[in-house]
Amino acid sequence: MTEPRPRIAVVTFPGSNDDGDARLALSHLGAEAVPVWHAATALPDDVGGVVLPGGFSYGDYLRCGALARLAPVMDAVRTFAAEGGPVLGICNGFQILCEAGLLPGVLRANRQLQFLCADVTVRVESDATPFTSACVRGEELVIPIKHGEGNWMADDRLYTDVVERGQVVLRYTEDVNGSRDRVAGLANENGNVLGLMPHPEHAVDPLLGPTGGAPLLEGLIAAARERVADYAIGGR
Amino acid sequence: VTSARVGRLVDLEVAAEDVETARAEVERMCAELLANTLIESFEIVAEAP
Repeated sequence: MTEPRPRIAVVTFPGSNDDGDARLALSHLGAEAVPVWHAATALPDDVGGVVLPGGFSYGDYLRCGALARLAPVMDAVRTFAAEGGPVLGICNGFQILCEAGLLPGVLRANRQLQFLCADVTVRVESDATPFTSACVRGEELVIPIKHGEGNWMADDRLYTDVVERGQVVLRYTEDVNGSRDRVAGLANENGNVLGLMPHPEHAVDPLLGPTGGAPLLEGLIAAARERVADYAIGGR
Repeated sequence: VTSARVGRLVDLEVAAEDVETARAEVERMCAELLANTLIESFEIVAEAP
């Protein structure tokens, strides 16, 4: 028996450039990726998850991710997240989630003041999110990064809160970009919104390199499938 | 060098009743978008034309 392919929205902002790969990876792993334009005021019916992909939304003018948070579609994404729907922000998507206040802190220019492009190793710090439910704590995943602003920071007080609430989901195993305590990925308090700088959508096919992104996307797909099953029962 | 500052200057022309109304409007724009107060601060200089 084949499992149903849950519908997952992949938002395209002007300047997004990993939306295509995100859709391909989700399809490859068993979901139906639904493209959604930034000007949409609602998400398509029955989507069980949302991906904010990498790229340079609106040219990343002002600050990366800052303008995208005002996109019409973001109101729908906020509502979806508030209802517990799984939302994954990758790279620029992570920056957008921080600017939108859906995730804490902010991403600044890399410590090196250079664009970085490399396969990196991240360690799973929390398996209490849908995205990491198939992982075990301490597990290491190899996933590529490619960013100029991946240096996550929060002041001491905010950082302490974030750690105490278990919101740090992924850490680089070594310093990559100056990010505070090597934070590579963060969740909201409920765990249903995850932002990360590495690109899981580029790491799902062994033909193209490491496959450390697959478990994270499979976690999203599993959560989306559960959510869609709830719609079918009439939970919506 | 004893001090250095890097910043961004945004010139805005605002149609408003008076300078204080314009300032309040711009203050909101700064807080909501133009500055990320986790890492940036802002200062507003408002003048009537």
